Amino acid sequence: MRSDLIDNAMAVSGACIRCLVYTILALPAVLVIVSSFTSGETMNFPPAGFSLRWYQKVWENDLFMSALWTSTYVAVLVALVALVIGFASAFAINRFSFPGKAFLQGLAFSPLIVPAVVLGIGLLQLFAGLGLTRTIYPLLLGHLVLAIPYVMRTILASLALQQRVLEEAAMNLRATPLQVIRRITLPLILPGLLSAAIFAFVTSFGNVTVSAFLTYGGKVTLPVQIFAYVDTSYDPLVAAVSSIMILVTLSVILTIERLIGAERLA
Amino acid sequence: MVLLLIGCLVVPLLGLLRSSFLPGSHLLEGSGFTLDQYVRFFSDSYYTSVLVETFIDGFIVSLICLVIGFPTGYSLARLPPSARRWRTLIVIMPLTLSLVVVVFGWLIILGRNGFVNSLLVTLGIIPSPRIFLFTRPAVMIVLVQQFLPFMILSVMSVITQIDPVLEQAAANLRANRFTTFRRIIIPLAVPGILVGFNLVFVLSISAFITPRLIGGNRVVMLGSLIYERIMSELNWPSGAAMAFVLFVSGLAFTAALNAMAGSRIITGRGRYAL
Repeated sequence: MRSDLIDNAMAVSGACIRCLVYTILALPAVLVIVSSFTSGETMNFPPAGFSLRWYQKVWENDLFMSALWTSTYVAVLVALVALVIGFASAFAINRFSFPGKAFLQGLAFSPLIVPAVVLGIGLLQLFAGLGLTRTIYPLLLGHLVLAIPYVMRTILASLALQQRVLEEAAMNLRATPLQVIRRITLPLILPGLLSAAIFAFVTSFGNVTVSAFLTYGGKVTLPVQIFAYVDTSYDPLVAAVSSIMILVTLSVILTIERLIGAERLA
Repeated sequence: MVLLLIGCLVVPLLGLLRSSFLPGSHLLEGSGFTLDQYVRFFSDSYYTSVLVETFIDGFIVSLICLVIGFPTGYSLARLPPSARRWRTLIVIMPLTLSLVVVVFGWLIILGRNGFVNSLLVTLGIIPSPRIFLFTRPAVMIVLVQQFLPFMILSVMSVITQIDPVLEQAAANLRANRFTTFRRIIIPLAVPGILVGFNLVFVLSISAFITPRLIGGNRVVMLGSLIYERIMSELNWPSGAAMAFVLFVSGLAFTAALNAMAGSRIITGRGRYAL
């Protein structure tokens, strides 16, 4: 290989850019965690002293605690329902050919091209018309729509990687189709299913762009509560709540990474 | 799934489209069919300037993401798996983390008593804290950070498919890295670049949390305008019309990039590789 000035310039600038990129990507989360341990009254940098008092305040704050509960509850439900719907649809798309298959596939990924604001107000209008804004359904269904593409992608990838031979062997041994799915297919793609469910959980748990519209008079999720709070005030309480969210998200990503590896995470 | 997506995606969109053709400034006020909302939007210079600024912002954000995201995505694709692990985690983290948390982190960074100010004052670069928030560049920086992972991942997924042997061959033929980059890597990576660019652009023009929290009242983007219109003023017909302007612009941009690529790259595998 030939080395010259341009090569070196490119290597150096590339290294600088990468350094900058990783710093920028990690900095907000790191600073949120650092600031949450302040013992001061206000958000200053560097934080004054060290204490866990803001975490205690979160624990005592009904608004944030009930929002955390709502978020968790909705996210778990979304994960479960998305998993069932996602598996059924992905299985059908992967294993069978039927009229309208391309349409189904396109439909599954269509939520990705609709801007969140548009989906949010569309759903708000629909559910307001149905008189359902005080129930949990708008949030649940809105998050499901958002989660479907990610769930489908993960399960479709798992199904595509799986060896059909084992299923065929089971069928040769006179296993019924249901037995094959339950004893062969599901256990084989279990890591994919789990990570799909976790993807759905994070999508729902962290969403604010659609949720912001779907809490009208009803329940509020944690990110929306944070949004409303930050819109008017700015104190370490939010830093503590946000750190909790970071912790949840981080542990979830690490779990997926364990299940399917960093390679397929992307 | 079909029921869910039709009921909760297609139906709301159609309902919204219907409302955007209503006259008046309240949902229940009028009936009938009129293009008033659209005419008002496009004839008011305030709205059109917000629209144009939103597009310019989106374009600049996508461009910055491309320039700094490409080298990162490239290196990520060429690294051995062991070195890739924690870097991938850093890239994925902002995607999965709630947007408000990320934006709140930026308030700590850019705030008056924030990270950047205290750093600059301590280093003696500026004598007293400056105001970085509520400016357009601040909003754009935050948008870049939010959507950069999409660019990095798109570039990365396409680079992994390019055989490193091609680069070695170019080097053997005495091409320097820049020539190899320009003549070999870029042309082959075009699909990934377009997918990334498209995603970042569409996401940026529909942003509303970031302009609202980082930009305050001074930086208005189309997304935050829609949010105001619907949630504060309850002016549904007007908000719905704006939402459709936004939606159609995004689709048009995607279609334009598609046409440019001359293939089904973007709607085809690219979307699925997301």
